[in-house]
Amino acid sequence: MSGSRQRKSDRVGVYICHCGGNISDHVDVEKVRADVERIPGVAVARTNMFMCSDPGQELIIEDLRQGIVDRVVVASCAPSLHEATFRSAIARAGANPYIYEHANIREHVSWVLHGDKATAKAEKLVAAAVGKARLLEPLDPIHVEARRHVTVIGAGIAGMTAARLLADRGLEVVLIEKSPYLGGHAARLDRVAPTGERAADLVSELAEAVLEHAAVTVMTSTRLAGFDGYVGNYDLRVRPVLAGPAEDRNGYVPFHGVVGGNPPELTIKTGAVILATGFRSYRPRRGEYGYGDLAGVVTLPEFIRLFSAAERSGDCLVLDGRTIRSVAMIHCVGSRQIPGIHEEDGDGRLNEYCSRTCCSAVLHAACRIRELFAGTRVHDLYRDIRTYGRGQEELYERASKSGVLFHRFTAEAPPLVEPGDGGETGDFPLRLTVRDGLTFGEEVRMGVDLVVLATGMEAGDIDELVAMMKLPVGTDRFLQEVHPKLAPVETSVAGVFLAGTAQAPMTIGEACNGAAAAAVKAASLLGRGYVELDPFVADVDPALCRGTGDCLQACLADGALEMVEVETEEGAARQARVIAARCLGCGACVAVCPTGAIDLKGWSLKQYEAMVDMIVADIPDNA
Amino acid sequence: MTVVSPEFAEELKEYGDDTALQCFNCGTCVAICPLVDDSFPRRLIRYVQIGARERILASGRDLWKCLHCGLCSRTCPRQADPGEIILGLKRYVLAAWREE
Repeated sequence: MSGSRQRKSDRVGVYICHCGGNISDHVDVEKVRADVERIPGVAVARTNMFMCSDPGQELIIEDLRQGIVDRVVVASCAPSLHEATFRSAIARAGANPYIYEHANIREHVSWVLHGDKATAKAEKLVAAAVGKARLLEPLDPIHVEARRHVTVIGAGIAGMTAARLLADRGLEVVLIEKSPYLGGHAARLDRVAPTGERAADLVSELAEAVLEHAAVTVMTSTRLAGFDGYVGNYDLRVRPVLAGPAEDRNGYVPFHGVVGGNPPELTIKTGAVILATGFRSYRPRRGEYGYGDLAGVVTLPEFIRLFSAAERSGDCLVLDGRTIRSVAMIHCVGSRQIPGIHEEDGDGRLNEYCSRTCCSAVLHAACRIRELFAGTRVHDLYRDIRTYGRGQEELYERASKSGVLFHRFTAEAPPLVEPGDGGETGDFPLRLTVRDGLTFGEEVRMGVDLVVLATGMEAGDIDELVAMMKLPVGTDRFLQEVHPKLAPVETSVAGVFLAGTAQAPMTIGEACNGAAAAAVKAASLLGRGYVELDPFVADVDPALCRGTGDCLQACLADGALEMVEVETEEGAARQARVIAARCLGCGACVAVCPTGAIDLKGWSLKQYEAMVDMIVADIPDNA
Repeated sequence: MTVVSPEFAEELKEYGDDTALQCFNCGTCVAICPLVDDSFPRRLIRYVQIGARERILASGRDLWKCLHCGLCSRTCPRQADPGEIILGLKRYVLAAWREE
């Protein structure tokens, strides 16, 4: 990689984009073109209204085909938008896609500077890109063999869906579940909104499919104990979950005994991982709306369980032997919390997001009560109603038609739940008072037998998994995708995908969508049996490496560098070797190498120096 | 402080349509009403929902300003039929006055 041996290209093509005025309203694009065309090494400089358009790309392809240029610089928007576009145009012209350099003259120039300053900075950035482009060399993507095997973690609705779809596509699947059961949270529901299907039917259908599928191995009561490898070649160590608190402890565990032997550990060799670890249901603080203090205050999941064993007295609902004449359901418990208003949890955190599923779940439960037990009144206390999906607004309307009475409160003035006093609200065990926005801000009061709290979703307890797999976590503590729109199930760890509520609160339908997307992503990643990665990784020059091992010390990626014995002209020696698939391309090794033996492909020190030289050089003014 | 009495809806049934609970309090009827201010007719429909009997009985002045032009019923997104509810309330209030 040493630059001295490298020939500089003198056929750089520069393509400058107007971005339909986004750039050219502030940057004198024609002046940039005329000036950079005179920079040594530039064969041609052209402009176009939209370089990313077909005619724009065609300019580049034509120049390459005719041999006018052999290196390409596009000056346009951020490379995150169109670098891939232009690399692919170069490949279509039959050239190597890595002879490309990008200059960002929109976000870095025209959106932040105006007039002469903008034009001058654009010229500097383009000149620097030209300097680097002259030293670019054709590179080959890293070719990594990939196992056509996927491991899905979590056997809820999302995990089972992903496992089934992958197996149907012909991939081998291992489905790991820490509990003894398949079904996750859905198995704790009864009938689900908005369609009223039985959760048991959904869970049973999926579970049967994965259990019977020859390509799916289901491992229940199993957890992840180790994670190693790289995209296409991950090694997952799994071990059985012990009943009781004994895990990872030695000696006598009080009231359990002594942990005997080592639980068998197994290594799964897999190509990709889908995380379908689900959520945790919000547990109200003691005293939040009387929860834990007052009998008759329950969470929605608790209510669903009780209601599945509902009995009847006349046309009134009877739960656990208690006749329920009137029930209040409170929305947004543990969701949409506001700093300064809501109390933070033990770790000083608030759930500021909307849990998205509770409005419909509450309304569905309310409809079921009213439609089956006409004698039971339902009060619905909400901040906002968010019935956003197909069939959900209809549920809201159905609740009104079935006689549910709504009251609206603000976060600042939540409903007050107190024991009933037998006074004006009658002989109800509980009394609820709320400043009601629908009644023009007046306080209204009602007697109830039961209060149901619509508790939201929180991120699951997967800290260990997050640390082990180095997973990105959002401020809401859910696992985070690379891009909410353009890469919605990918994580920053290559070959690790997200499915279902591990990512965010979502409905069963949305969880299945996410699972299907993750399955498709994993299948297309591994389908060819190999994976191609960008070649921007460290590279060792054997002629210069003296085997100091400094690079290993500096390396940030586990196992990306190793020391190997090599035969040289002076006999056996130790030298560093790069495991390309594990290298992050960060350059930490380059900075510490005492002999300059290690460098980054596509981002070499010589290329950086050339850029700096061009930034400080005077650009000939053509004006 | 108003104590909610949902059973009031039963009392009203003999005087008119039983559609008040379909109202989701959007206020379209208030915006379109050409004659009466002060959140009419939504205020009265809300009073029906929570069973604020005394307030309704004291609202004769507003009730009889309504000319039944029908704009509110025509624009209601929930088919709660506010005009018809107001008509029912007039009957209810008259009946209550007679009893007095």
